[in-house]
Amino acid sequence: MSRSHLLGFLAFAALLVAVPLTAENEYELRLFMLFLIYGLIAVGLNVLVGLTGLVSLGQAGLFALGSYTGAILAVRLGADLVTASIGAAVVAALFGVALAYPTVRVRGVYLAVVTIAFGIIVENVAIEWTALTGGTTGLSGIPTPSVFGYELTGYGFYGVLAATLLLATLAAHNLTDSRYGRAMLAVSQSEIAARSLGVNATAMRILAFVAAAVTAGVAGVFYSFLNQYISPDIFTFSDSVRFLLMVILGGAATTFGPVLGAFVLTYLPEYLQDFQLWQKFAYGALLLAVMFVLPRGVMGTLGLGLKRLRPAARGLDPAEVAAAGAGLPAASRATTAELVTQGLTVRFGGLTALSHANVRVKGGEVHALIGPNGAGKSTFVNAISGVYRPSEGAFGIDGEDLTGKSQHEIARLGLARTFQNTELFGELTVLENVLVGGQSRLRYGLVDALLRTPRRRREERELRAAAVGLLAFVGLTDHANEAARYLPFGLQRRLEIARALAARPRLLLLDEPAAGLTSQEIDELAAMIRKIAASGVSVLLIEHHVDLIMAVADTVTVLDYGQVIASDRPGVVQNDPRVIEAYFGSPVAHGELSEASA
Amino acid sequence: MTTILQYTLSGLAIGGVYALVALGFHIMWSTAKAVNFAHGDTLMIGAVLAVMGVDAGMPVWLACSLAILAGAVFGVALERVAVRPFTAQANSIGWMLSTIAIGIMAESLATMQFGGFSRPLPSPGVDRPINVFGAGVYPQELLIPAVAIVLTLGLGLMQKRTLVGRAMRAVAHDKRAAALMGINVNRIVALSFGLSALLGAGAGVLVAPVIQASATMGVLLGLKGFAVAIIGGITSAPGVLVAGLAFGVLEKFVEGYISTAAREIVAFGVMIAVLLVFPQGLFGKRETVKV
Repeated sequence: MSRSHLLGFLAFAALLVAVPLTAENEYELRLFMLFLIYGLIAVGLNVLVGLTGLVSLGQAGLFALGSYTGAILAVRLGADLVTASIGAAVVAALFGVALAYPTVRVRGVYLAVVTIAFGIIVENVAIEWTALTGGTTGLSGIPTPSVFGYELTGYGFYGVLAATLLLATLAAHNLTDSRYGRAMLAVSQSEIAARSLGVNATAMRILAFVAAAVTAGVAGVFYSFLNQYISPDIFTFSDSVRFLLMVILGGAATTFGPVLGAFVLTYLPEYLQDFQLWQKFAYGALLLAVMFVLPRGVMGTLGLGLKRLRPAARGLDPAEVAAAGAGLPAASRATTAELVTQGLTVRFGGLTALSHANVRVKGGEVHALIGPNGAGKSTFVNAISGVYRPSEGAFGIDGEDLTGKSQHEIARLGLARTFQNTELFGELTVLENVLVGGQSRLRYGLVDALLRTPRRRREERELRAAAVGLLAFVGLTDHANEAARYLPFGLQRRLEIARALAARPRLLLLDEPAAGLTSQEIDELAAMIRKIAASGVSVLLIEHHVDLIMAVADTVTVLDYGQVIASDRPGVVQNDPRVIEAYFGSPVAHGELSEASA
Repeated sequence: MTTILQYTLSGLAIGGVYALVALGFHIMWSTAKAVNFAHGDTLMIGAVLAVMGVDAGMPVWLACSLAILAGAVFGVALERVAVRPFTAQANSIGWMLSTIAIGIMAESLATMQFGGFSRPLPSPGVDRPINVFGAGVYPQELLIPAVAIVLTLGLGLMQKRTLVGRAMRAVAHDKRAAALMGINVNRIVALSFGLSALLGAGAGVLVAPVIQASATMGVLLGLKGFAVAIIGGITSAPGVLVAGLAFGVLEKFVEGYISTAAREIVAFGVMIAVLLVFPQGLFGKRETVKV
């Protein structure tokens, strides 16, 4: 943990101890406890909003679910605070999973509307299901909270709330700073790239939704014990808006932002009461002002200001680079990988983009795939990397069938790729991009991440060293701490290669890596590709640039109208009359092919 | 039998309102890929201002026209202030929250000016109910779905036949290409927000005699209008119209046979279910991504 964060947590803990000692009356303490509860909701919601970039406008619904579950368990079954919290956490988590399910198909505004609908449904179920919830009159007579038979006094309950918020903030911070947080950020910035690196995007979104749901659910239990009475009108759409605003106002994706946001929005209504009639208007005006003046929130803006004041070094410490050692790790398998496709066919409606393609990429070779525009090259790439499902046929690496597997499964089995129009995680740094590449090789679990165990630290250290080595290989150590989107185009292409290599693939798929590069950059790329192949990684190269193909390819396969029309050594293919016809329409003399395509 | 007819007719009336609101979402989404989350408050502005105009002694037609016009101005202003600054951002949190903020402010202002009560707009359409095969409906209730149908057809004609309509479709299809063809994209987007606000405020004026006008009437109607747009497929105007009318009828039946709380549960439950099975809505077009 960085020193500033450590100081932040110590200050936060000190504040939590100081407040009850200085509180003048019970009302003040109660209001502060309400802030602790809202803080818990905001910290959980921040995982969803800040990391995965998904918007939930239904947190009040999850809050209500937790409240009602806790209250019903306490009133009907005499459950104590612990049992009620576990019960509520389980119920909320289940609904969190259910809410995450639509994200498989819909995002953005659609998802926001689904969550709004969810909140309204919960509110109305609470009204309608009178036998269980007491309907509009609500549930009263919630007992004072007790833990394992000990009744909690006002200060005891305060202690539970304060400790929970502190630990939740710490856990969220650790989650952000782990493979999970990195994967969530990656998914939010380019889902297709994250999947191509073996990140299970759906699992990450479910995890984020569950984090947001469980915290809201437990906060709900605390609320019902604090208030000792709950009714449906406490959990409305405008409360969901307020919870989201807490995160945005404080600063999404920051550690203490949500807590700060919750603090401001718990106390603000108290002050706005002076405005009387204008109270709601002032609240709306504040919301609007935040969106304009502080779109990154208070903590986000502060962090940005600090960075401007004391910019971090753009590159890496030379000592670290030297320790990591430039270059490629030797291929992890004794045998190099062989990709075989059999009768691979992809149809879009009536159009057959790829027709019974049989391609064999031998272990350790550089295999080029060429063809005129519309020949089916991209379709082939997208089919074997799992973006498209083949309509017919099969493909596999080293005899292992990959047909029908999802993108991240294929990636984990040893196929890594780059993209025609680079798909970097633009807001992440160059180094972080490569770290995401090595994501699927990490073995530590959620518990390790939340507790920052030695295992997590060791694996992260090893991954970082490997990533630094790869940055040295592609020559990007001087840019390691820059945001990837600020890199010049040529360097972005190299970063994509380093990122793909971080996954330690058996087969590397380069989709038009030379497009847009200068001739010097292409020469460097050719050298790089040869080194990669020499390290034991098979390379499938999709390219238009004939010079590059002639320089590096061992075998060339030519596609035309979705069919393989030739596959042989470069020199042979270059003179194949069918290939020449595919490019020019009629047979012409040898030599013009390279000129025309270059 | 009479009950079923009664529910269907009243359902079509409220469904027409949903359709008009949803049509506004369709227009905004098409050109801006963003919407006004406070679109329900445009409807509220139409209804509330019309009632206030009549209070001030204006004839009904004048009060209604001015109210609709004010709604349109609100829509255009909102686009300029709260949507345009945020549409360049990758995620939609910016304009969602900023338009919600404006909605909160509009509702609070309306509460201060109009009071916390609900009041109906006097209209010749609700003087006396007429008898349709035993079911009693006000002419106003029959008018609403008719207006929704006519306006949907009119919108379709405008998009196909007029220069502005074609420009709107071009912007919807590809903003950059449209700009290169000399279309002022910002103006078209502003226009589409104005047009949708016109429909929204119009729906408010139409429905104010049937359900009473109040400062808080907008939120739920707006959300349901959005739900309808998503069910019908936000890219398809006829789809939105059909979904709106059907949604209104469904609601009336659930409300009549069970309760109002059950109405909200079923209404929003249906929306989620439709989204899960048809992510583009029932009549919407699928948008594909190429890598």
